Amino acid sequence: MGEYVLEVRNLEKYYGQNKVLDKVNLSIKKGQIYGLIGANGSGKSTLMNILFGNSVISGTGGYSGDVIFEGERTRFRSTTEAIGRGIGMIYQEFMLIPEMTVAENIKLTRENTKSIFGKASGSMLSFVDKRKDNEDAARVLEQLGFQIDNSYLVKNISVNAKQFVEIAREVNKEDLKLLLLDEPTAVLGDEDAGKLIKVLKELAKKGTSVLFCSHRLHEICQVCDHVTVLRDGQVISDYTKDELDMHTLARDMIGYDVAAVKKEHLNREKKEILKFQDFSVYMPGEYLDGLNLDVYQGEILGLTSLSGHGKLAVGYGVMGQFPVRGELLHGSAAMEVKNVRRTIEQGIFLLPDDRKNMGLLLEHSVRDNIIFSGFYGRNLFQKKMGGIFPVKDKKEIERYVEEQIEKLEIKCESADQKVKELSGGNQQKVCIARAVLVAPKVLFVMEPTRGVDIGAKEKILDMLVQINREQGTTIVVASSELEELKRISDRIAVFCEGKLSQILPPDASDEEFAFAFTGEEEEDGQ
Amino acid sequence: MDSRIKLPQIIITVFMAALFVLAGFLGMDIPELISGSFTKFVMNGVLVLAMIPMINAGVGMNFGLPVGIVAGLLGMCVAIQLRMTGIAGFLGAVALSVVPAVLLGLIYAKILNMVKGKEDIAAIFIGYSFIPIMNFVWTVIPFTNREMLYPVGAKGLRPKISLENYFGNVLNELMVLKLGKISVPLGLLITYAVMCLLVYGFFKTKGGSVMLAVGENEKFCQLSGIRIDRVRTMAIVLSTVIGAAGICVYAQTYGFVELYNAPLSHSFPAVSAILIGGCIGRQAKISHAVLGTYLYQTIYLLSAPIANAILIPQMSEIVRMIITNGIILYAFLKQERRRRQ
Repeated sequence: MGEYVLEVRNLEKYYGQNKVLDKVNLSIKKGQIYGLIGANGSGKSTLMNILFGNSVISGTGGYSGDVIFEGERTRFRSTTEAIGRGIGMIYQEFMLIPEMTVAENIKLTRENTKSIFGKASGSMLSFVDKRKDNEDAARVLEQLGFQIDNSYLVKNISVNAKQFVEIAREVNKEDLKLLLLDEPTAVLGDEDAGKLIKVLKELAKKGTSVLFCSHRLHEICQVCDHVTVLRDGQVISDYTKDELDMHTLARDMIGYDVAAVKKEHLNREKKEILKFQDFSVYMPGEYLDGLNLDVYQGEILGLTSLSGHGKLAVGYGVMGQFPVRGELLHGSAAMEVKNVRRTIEQGIFLLPDDRKNMGLLLEHSVRDNIIFSGFYGRNLFQKKMGGIFPVKDKKEIERYVEEQIEKLEIKCESADQKVKELSGGNQQKVCIARAVLVAPKVLFVMEPTRGVDIGAKEKILDMLVQINREQGTTIVVASSELEELKRISDRIAVFCEGKLSQILPPDASDEEFAFAFTGEEEEDGQ
Repeated sequence: MDSRIKLPQIIITVFMAALFVLAGFLGMDIPELISGSFTKFVMNGVLVLAMIPMINAGVGMNFGLPVGIVAGLLGMCVAIQLRMTGIAGFLGAVALSVVPAVLLGLIYAKILNMVKGKEDIAAIFIGYSFIPIMNFVWTVIPFTNREMLYPVGAKGLRPKISLENYFGNVLNELMVLKLGKISVPLGLLITYAVMCLLVYGFFKTKGGSVMLAVGENEKFCQLSGIRIDRVRTMAIVLSTVIGAAGICVYAQTYGFVELYNAPLSHSFPAVSAILIGGCIGRQAKISHAVLGTYLYQTIYLLSAPIANAILIPQMSEIVRMIITNGIILYAFLKQERRRRQ
């Protein structure tokens, strides 16, 4: 059967007692873009790992079923083997070397070489032809439609640029037969995601097959020739291009219909709670330049921009994570952002976008995570043992944690389960429960729905609106999902190249937003 | 992470049992060896406990253990100067060493907080550079008790000060239980158990659990309003104080206070012991320290005479070096492998 590049038959995989893949079947034709969608924990990544021969799989007991690559039954023992056969993979997390330049990363292991001894010295001892490498890298980046200087070190470039470098590396491989993409657009803004999709289409035209994994349904609909929906490790449905419909896909993916959260907009009097004056943040890859912005009490303010244009820098700057310049007034008093503890005591709190490294104690239980900031930062749930030693008030904690688990629909075995075992959406809910306990006056939330499946997404947005309405918390949400911001925000501040480009009402037209994103003024008016 | 005993611990335990059997064949006095293993165990056990707070706060191994040891030596010297004897003398020495331990610990912490990410190597060099300074101090410090000073010249402290007339062996001889030929030093074991319980209890308190959290994820804690450097300082001071108490226990069993370069010889064995006990990387439990100390010290105790008998004299020191340094290397390899998974 020469027609299929890859066939998967009756694939099953267990992690311990957990069945994560259950009789999965797919077949990908040559030059086809094949979509794979599913909520977090549906088995997408596991499937990718099997196809790419990742050692995680053999290390956890292997799998059963057949993988047939180019008509031949194969079982990849290592990623090297998979790469050798013409499979490439682009990861959700970056697999790049930070200390090397863009060009070096792209050409790594496939360097052009020149040798003064001719063939005698072999390729390992030949000199790297840097100029030729640079040319190659520049060519492939141009082909991707992404402009960046080849000689930058990867550690200094922004997140979306990293994603493009990673894509460039894979695309540059000659003889690439199958490209696996695990959520490649998760960190990209809409515009950049569009560029990527164009590249994928061109690749497919040249005969490379693509297995494309994403939560973003509209992208899937736009680009894929065939889509398979996974849920809880099982294939739920299969669609060809003309059958695709976002609503059906969403329902298949989570198993029920979702009602979209929509905030009713209240008219409040405008009282500033935070005032940014010429506020700059030196955050690598997300530089913010001279922000002047008032945050009003009780509003939900959305911050958005293409990735790398400064929306994340606002919150991290306030929390003293990066060097800042300029003034930040809280009420009428100037704030010293370096003193994080004091900032939190003043009622300002932040939920970071990098949940694994900054937002969670992965080795701790759900309970510990929920109460952490309240217990240690704000001294809640304390009672004195023997009048001296402060200890946890276990009964109160239990009550609160159970209440939150129920209210936020956190899916966990018990409050004792370790947070690292939860899915992205549930982890984010744990973060929100943690913030609720602190009861901040101003809550910064960074990319609250990144890496979160649709069902959890709505719950999270709903919670943000609820916290805002019931506790009067001012919320500043930085997100690249404009649609979501439009639904929950009172105002949306759009950034471009580190500068505030416009503040728009949520019902502004897409055109107005597009102009704001690119920093271009509209012709008419002012 | 569970505290289940894993393969390396089983292998080492089997090795230890094999050594006992071999010792029996060689006609060595097994009951005496077993009794000896108890004393050796507690003698070094408290020093190993001094690893725990620093590891748990994410500061790394306490390679700078000599800092705490010096504080303990100062405390004991003052106690000898004041001619304190018996159990009270011992407790007095521990109490007297707390003040220098806190002061030195604060300096130690200050440096380690400045070299975040490279604490292990910095701590080793803090130990190595601190000892020569103390060597100078020991020679000029104005103590007047003749038993502490060089017999000739009567100036400067002697390298080995006998505790015979003060609090040498006070814990060893406290409540010794005779089980046949084996003698169990109950007083010593109880002292150790109390110390373990204190450390265990500390990690159940708010201060202790925040330490664990900082060890796991610093950024997270910072964003929750925790002052990271303060928590780390607390852990380092605590480790230093435990180290000071540890050398007091060690010295009373050994019978001598060893000054000058002696403190340097304690840090690697202590690090080794907790690693043998199964601690890899971020979290150290009391069980790691207890199990590790017993295995490490007993193997050393057994291998020395056996190696001397069947191989060559002086073999014991070689065996000891191989075990100590080999285990540290093994642990680093293991840590690295875990991180890559």
